[in-house]
Amino acid sequence: MEKPSATGGNPSSAPKQELTEQQKPQHQLQIFQNSLPKVSQIVYMMLLNEVVPLSVAVEEKRDDFSSKLEEESDEVTQTEEQLQRLHINPPLDSPSHQLCRNLYEADEEKHNRVLDRLRSIGFQIGNKVTQLLVFSNNPNLQFKDMDLLSVMKFICRDVWKQMFNKQVDNLKTNHRGIFYLFDYEYPPIQSFGLDSESSEKELQMVKPFLEVAVGVIKGVLASLGYNSEDVICLASYVDRPEEKPKTSFGKGVSFHVQVTVQ
Amino acid sequence: MSMSTPSKSLKVIGDDTWKNKTEKVNAELFTLTYGAIVSQLCADYDRDFQKVNNQLYSMGYNIGVRLIEDFLARTALPRCENMVKTSEMISKCAFKIFLNMSPQVANWSPEKDTFSLILDENPLSDFVELPMDAMKQLWYSNVLSGVLKGSLEMVQLDCDVWFVSDVLKGDPQTELRIKLNKVLKDEIPIGED
Repeated sequence: MEKPSATGGNPSSAPKQELTEQQKPQHQLQIFQNSLPKVSQIVYMMLLNEVVPLSVAVEEKRDDFSSKLEEESDEVTQTEEQLQRLHINPPLDSPSHQLCRNLYEADEEKHNRVLDRLRSIGFQIGNKVTQLLVFSNNPNLQFKDMDLLSVMKFICRDVWKQMFNKQVDNLKTNHRGIFYLFDYEYPPIQSFGLDSESSEKELQMVKPFLEVAVGVIKGVLASLGYNSEDVICLASYVDRPEEKPKTSFGKGVSFHVQVTVQ
Repeated sequence: MSMSTPSKSLKVIGDDTWKNKTEKVNAELFTLTYGAIVSQLCADYDRDFQKVNNQLYSMGYNIGVRLIEDFLARTALPRCENMVKTSEMISKCAFKIFLNMSPQVANWSPEKDTFSLILDENPLSDFVELPMDAMKQLWYSNVLSGVLKGSLEMVQLDCDVWFVSDVLKGDPQTELRIKLNKVLKDEIPIGED
């Protein structure tokens, strides 16, 4: 990958004041981050969102698979097998929007299996994002003696920034293991153009798209020593505060995190 | 902008769009996210890699049919008159804008309807090493074939897209083959001539 020069994309036109001792490492971090290989944000968001219809498709095929298992024998002939191996035109699934609709109409059990799959993918992402950030030269990160509150701050600030190019808007806690992370413009769902009077049904159909982030939060916590059995994380919609400008998606998202510390 | 040669200007458009009009994320984040997806699929299908290949392809197709919209809106490029032009568009603009890479175009068939993209660098499979059982069957980056299939179909090009080799399988290079089946006809509404 072509690496931009070290100063590339850096606000070099910024006024050349002396940086304070605090700003210097921040500035250096920015230069380092800008020098890393990049891909388009759009592609990343599409990949992240496509995980939802993908999980539905997998679920449907596994259903098929287990019901067909008895009937199917060695009927697949040699040539057919070889054709498959060539692998030029594999069968396609239904379009993504259809799969999302299927998920909405699915029974609870299937619905839950799909959500579990989404969380599991998110979990793996969260696990590795920590590793990525541990080696990011960020002067703010002290993983030694990190308490739960600073871990949550790490998620709100660094993990969100890395994944979504923004921070969580608001973090609330009772200082006894319960946290609320409010994101009023959760990026992956911003392109779903629902207006403020969108029906309950539409909101329900978008809801699975929050589950990957739930997994990410649990994954990050797990990688920093909080077992996923001790962590409850739920996503729900909240109303956006009045002063926020209107965006295409009318609702904010709240992640409720509860950690039991033995 | 002066139009010196068509291929030059495509490269300029690609570079310019990437530099100035594209929001970016860390490529390693992209790599690890894709890795999480593939590994979940392998677990779901009990390491039946043929099924994983198909699923990745299908996922790519669904991404491709929507990604092409973004591509056309971002670049405002006209229709390609032949496959040679299409190949340049893919390597110099599309791959550049979305993944910041420019695969080489090679191995043209005599009829100029089939070509290969040689992916020297592939952000999907950076730092990836396949286990022995997956090496034989899994086409790790198969989502790319699906994306190309889907987006080309949306511009009326019915193509077959498949991987012929992959460095992850121990091949010397990663090669993606694209074959044009036919140019789909523009549908004219009934009652108009």
